[in-house]
Amino acid sequence: MTSTLSIQGLRVAVGDREVLKGFDLTMSTGEVHALMGPNGSGKSTLAHALTGHPGYRVLEGSVSIDGHELLGLSATERARAGLFLALQQPLEVPGVRPLDMLVAAGANPATAAARVREEAARVGLRPELLERFVNVDLSGGERKRAEMVQLGVLRPRFCLLDEVDSGLDVDALAAVARRLSSAVSEWECGVLAITHFRRLLVELVPTTIHVVRDGRVVATGGPEIAERLEREGYDGFRAPRA
Amino acid sequence: MTTFADSAAAVIDAHPGAGRLEAWRAFEEVGLPSSSDEVWRYTPLSALGLEDRAVPAGPSTVAPTDAARRLGAGAGVVLTVVDGYLAPVGELPDGLEVVADESGRSHTGQALYERYARDAFSLLNAALAPATTVVRVAPGAVLPGPVVVLGLAGTGASFPRLRVEIGRGAEAVVVEYLEGGRDGLVVPVSEYALDDDGSLTLVTYQRLDETAWQVARTTGFLERDARLRQAVIGLGAHYDRARNDAELRGAGSANELRTTYLGRGDQVHDFRTRQLHLAPRTTSRLLSKGAVAERSRSVYTGLIEIEKGATRTDARQTNHNLLLSSSAHADSVPNLDIRENDVLCAHASSVGPLDALQRWYLESRGVGRVDAQRLMIQGFFYEMLEALPATLAAPIEADVAAAVGEVARAAEVGS
Repeated sequence: MTSTLSIQGLRVAVGDREVLKGFDLTMSTGEVHALMGPNGSGKSTLAHALTGHPGYRVLEGSVSIDGHELLGLSATERARAGLFLALQQPLEVPGVRPLDMLVAAGANPATAAARVREEAARVGLRPELLERFVNVDLSGGERKRAEMVQLGVLRPRFCLLDEVDSGLDVDALAAVARRLSSAVSEWECGVLAITHFRRLLVELVPTTIHVVRDGRVVATGGPEIAERLEREGYDGFRAPRA
Repeated sequence: MTTFADSAAAVIDAHPGAGRLEAWRAFEEVGLPSSSDEVWRYTPLSALGLEDRAVPAGPSTVAPTDAARRLGAGAGVVLTVVDGYLAPVGELPDGLEVVADESGRSHTGQALYERYARDAFSLLNAALAPATTVVRVAPGAVLPGPVVVLGLAGTGASFPRLRVEIGRGAEAVVVEYLEGGRDGLVVPVSEYALDDDGSLTLVTYQRLDETAWQVARTTGFLERDARLRQAVIGLGAHYDRARNDAELRGAGSANELRTTYLGRGDQVHDFRTRQLHLAPRTTSRLLSKGAVAERSRSVYTGLIEIEKGATRTDARQTNHNLLLSSSAHADSVPNLDIRENDVLCAHASSVGPLDALQRWYLESRGVGRVDAQRLMIQGFFYEMLEALPATLAAPIEADVAAAVGEVARAAEVGS
């Protein structure tokens, strides 16, 4: 069954500064959307605000899945409603084992260990690394592969990728992109990839591209947007007047 | 109702000698400490009500709980000690001897009242303990399984006393467990004497009733190349005070001490340690980790003393405290007293809440708030529990996990 993630008029502040200034985006499961924009345009803020990060304050707007409002919900409830965030720098949680985290997050305790091993093999993560505490003592690439293991076990409806391509080597980037592409075909995962590079999008082909400037989506379209970006850069996309 | 003083006098009359009277007189001279004494500053001594806590004339009629039985199931030998009275001992493996020593002497050879002069509670133990339970491991013996000393306390004031003697080159695992003590006062005094090359892995595990007071004192005596690894776990009692000392007397001896506590309700966990380095190339590793929830509080005061001549000593002390509610409180006071130049010495301490971003990360995967806190608190204690002997790890971990679960829920209510 197709689900729709709808973001409408979202305004978010970090500290005293308003970063998202009326952000709109709609996407469905089974689609791959790319969100591109220069540094400071609000891309990461969107990902963090959607998942209830304590440092981000929602001022106004709506985020819903199939009409079910998420913004009043806890981070846990948003995750359980189907939102998954892969971070630019996945946090270390010393003392907590990945398997215990996944079972507490709702993975079937009877099969979780086997599922974790399967998913680790798919993204080329050495299984012994999953005996370590969550993201502790892992390289940047290993952490991102480890988050793809989480994704594969938890099978969320929507995956938000916050610049997962930054600092990633070519092999790790390909492994992450392949895993996401299969997630789209396997359970119609909807992928919203936030990036300011085009590298990721060679492996993970988007159905729709959004350009963000100054806290708003200023253009939405197909592959032609990427071509235009290539020619004109972000300067070709002007923010509309408020 | 029998008062403490009357019942104590009856015990001393019934078991004369062994320095009891001297110990009692020394106690009367020293008197109970007061909260104006710096080392008792955080102790609600006015609530102790010593006069209402009668000393039993013999062992109370108490049965071990399921938790105690589970612990015993993983043991090679179980010794039951009720209110300080050693129950009849069954067959023992080769190399192990268990006796009740009524001499009133410390491992040092001194009378207990001299050894523990000016320490009011230890003096009470010297006066009122029925005997010292001695667990003696013969030189060269390696015990096949852990010795579990199941200490059960009744409702009054009780004074268990233990001495573990590890012969030259011998190895043993000993668990000193304590439960019961409803509305009681329990004052254990323990000595661990390790001869040259001796090795003792020790778990001191306190899960007394939540109304009980405990004031415990342990001392390790380590001769040349001896190794004492001690884990102290405090889950129970209303007031839980433990002073854990080690005297590194022989060159190359090593002491590792890990103290763990979990505070709930109005509990106080009060840990004092003293590592006394007397000989060259001695090492001490002290790791103290605790969590306080609701209105509980913890005190950690650690002293490393390095005597002149204890060259190339390596002493480290670490204390981390997790604050799980705004009404909980943790004090951390590390102290160093160094009289030798050629040494390595370090200490670190921290007091703070659970990391909000780490918690968000778990929640953003779909983990609920209480579960996230439970996992993080468990994780905080992980390194403390990994040192437990394998055969006993499961029941102790299960206990700690259950307590952590309660603390995590309490923390949620408190936040």
